[in-house]
Amino acid sequence: MTDQPLFKKAFPVKGDFASAGEASVKVKNILKDIGYDSGVIRRVAVATYEAEMNVVMYGGGGEIVMAVNADHVNIIIVDQGPGIPDIKQALVEGYSTATEEMREMGFGAGMGLPNIRKNSNEFTIDSEMGKGTRLDLVFRCGG
Amino acid sequence: MTPETKLHSIQIDNEKCIGCVLCMRACPMKAIRIRNDKAVIDPLRCVDCGECYRVCPHDAVIPETTSFSYLKKFKYTVALPSPVLYMQFGWEVMPNQVLQGLKRFGFDYVYDVAWMCENVTAAYEVYMQLHPTLKPKISTVCPAVVRLITHLYPDLLNHFIPIESPRELAAKRLRFKLAIERNLKPEEIGIIHITSCAAKMVSVNHPVGLAKSHLDGVVSIKDIYGDLLDLIEDVEEDVILQKSSGVGLGWAQSGGEIRGMNLENALAVSGVSDVIRILDDAEAGRLRNIDYLELLICPDGCIGGPMVVQNRHIAKQRCETLVKMFGEKSRVSRKMIRRLFNEGFYKMEEGIEQTPLPPLDPDPIKAIQKSQKIEELLSQLCGKECGACGSPDCRTLARDIVVGEARLTDCVFIEEEKDNP
Ligand SMILES: Nc1ncnc2c1ncn2[C@@H]1O[C@H](COP(=O)(O)OP(=O)(O)OP(=O)(O)O)[C@@H](O)[C@H]1O
Ligand code: SF4
Ligand code: SF4
Ligand SMILES: [Mg+2]
Repeated sequence: MTDQPLFKKAFPVKGDFASAGEASVKVKNILKDIGYDSGVIRRVAVATYEAEMNVVMYGGGGEIVMAVNADHVNIIIVDQGPGIPDIKQALVEGYSTATEEMREMGFGAGMGLPNIRKNSNEFTIDSEMGKGTRLDLVFRCGG
Repeated sequence: MTPETKLHSIQIDNEKCIGCVLCMRACPMKAIRIRNDKAVIDPLRCVDCGECYRVCPHDAVIPETTSFSYLKKFKYTVALPSPVLYMQFGWEVMPNQVLQGLKRFGFDYVYDVAWMCENVTAAYEVYMQLHPTLKPKISTVCPAVVRLITHLYPDLLNHFIPIESPRELAAKRLRFKLAIERNLKPEEIGIIHITSCAAKMVSVNHPVGLAKSHLDGVVSIKDIYGDLLDLIEDVEEDVILQKSSGVGLGWAQSGGEIRGMNLENALAVSGVSDVIRILDDAEAGRLRNIDYLELLICPDGCIGGPMVVQNRHIAKQRCETLVKMFGEKSRVSRKMIRRLFNEGFYKMEEGIEQTPLPPLDPDPIKAIQKSQKIEELLSQLCGKECGACGSPDCRTLARDIVVGEARLTDCVFIEEEKDNP
């Protein structure tokens, strides 16, 4: 992201289930209010929600940063959690380390990261053990 | 009023409104502002949920309904009471007595809408068997939910089950049937829905999925209750007007639509904030394992509608008792439902279109810039969320300023700072 975005805002993500999903709803509602490309809104809604849930479930809290430009939206999701030991494996559909409790709540299908990748036009994941995880996503209009 | 072109049923009585902030803060759509000490409703945003009506301490929020005098215009009148009406009375009063009471009230014909609810449950089942993909399916029974979705969740529109509501189906069938049987012109028949709902009047004046409503008006349970109560006491149980079992009666409350359905993964959600939350989940693609999503904007469903008389917890108890009493085994003939389904009887006449709210700016670039401006303004505002400015919260004031509908000095705290530097 070299250009200054027209809109930029950070949304904190708390590490508790009670408020889980709130940040991605805020992100989505801002795009709706702008009247942004509906395809982008749909994909951002799905990807940001999944990423936020991962931050809540595994990352112990973090932050979503959204930058909106005329023809694309950048979303960065970061946490300072334990990190992902094997990223390749984590990206495999169906792979999950979710606990019994999380599964009871309907999570743990191992579809989050694959769905995030599917719904974004650019997908970069960085993770360092003991430091945290960062997703860099780009969503392009008409893409 | 005559059912003409008013866009909403919820109106403000300027004589009574003192411009307190209660309705504005209760509105889930942020559709209300206080301007010149009066509440003003943005017709584009309002979904007629009735939340403002519930909280107004001055009776200044008025849900428009049909006046009884309007009924005089018809040669023949038909009452279609929502099953909620049955749950408003004491333990000894049975649905059939309520229906007979309505006849005594003066309606020429009275129809047990719960029976059509029971039919629609079966029609939903047929639809779901034929269309197993694109989950979850969402019902279109609650007009406030339908509006909420067409305004804010356009991606969920194709999840709607395109089956008409029981009240409309009942009216459609009866107008046809009674015109023939009683040798009347269809327009000589006045068909009135009796309801707890603030949104139904709008669904009559401005139907969604239908070119023109089959109903002629809407009467609130509150308005008819007193008279009806007097007429119920001494009715004889000779004519059986009630056809429904517990499956149809149960529609009065949340969970009623799914009660009679043979579905493993059905979910019933009620209350405006929970409905919004579940729609957000659905939009995030998180409910694909749910077959059916019953959504009702009022707490506990229509039984918690704004225009009821009975405390909704007592009414719920009453509903459960009646459901048990009349049994949870549907009385409809599946064969008949299939036939009517194939004939297209249940089908909505028109598609449901999205009704997106106006964006921050028609120019996409400016809209994004305005969004940024809102964030900047927000950091200047007090954050006390007091509503004294006339907007429901600080963020909405910032938005109102950016779109030119308010000024920064509307914030009472900013004004103070200016006066005493
Ligand atoms: N932010 C994160 N921090 C640490 N580990 C993570 C993080 N995000 C994902 N993971 C790991 O990657 C795995 C796969 O994540 P993914 O989102 O694809 O599936 P899931 O969260 O287990 O299940 P689902 O998303 O379908 O509910 C997780 O089970 C977890 O072990
Ligand atoms: S009816 Fe509901 S949406 Fe309409 S103004 Fe009242 S609270 Fe807002
Ligand atoms: S829940 Fe029932 S009473 Fe309430 S708005 Fe919806 S349809 Fe009307
Ligand atoms: Mg996940």
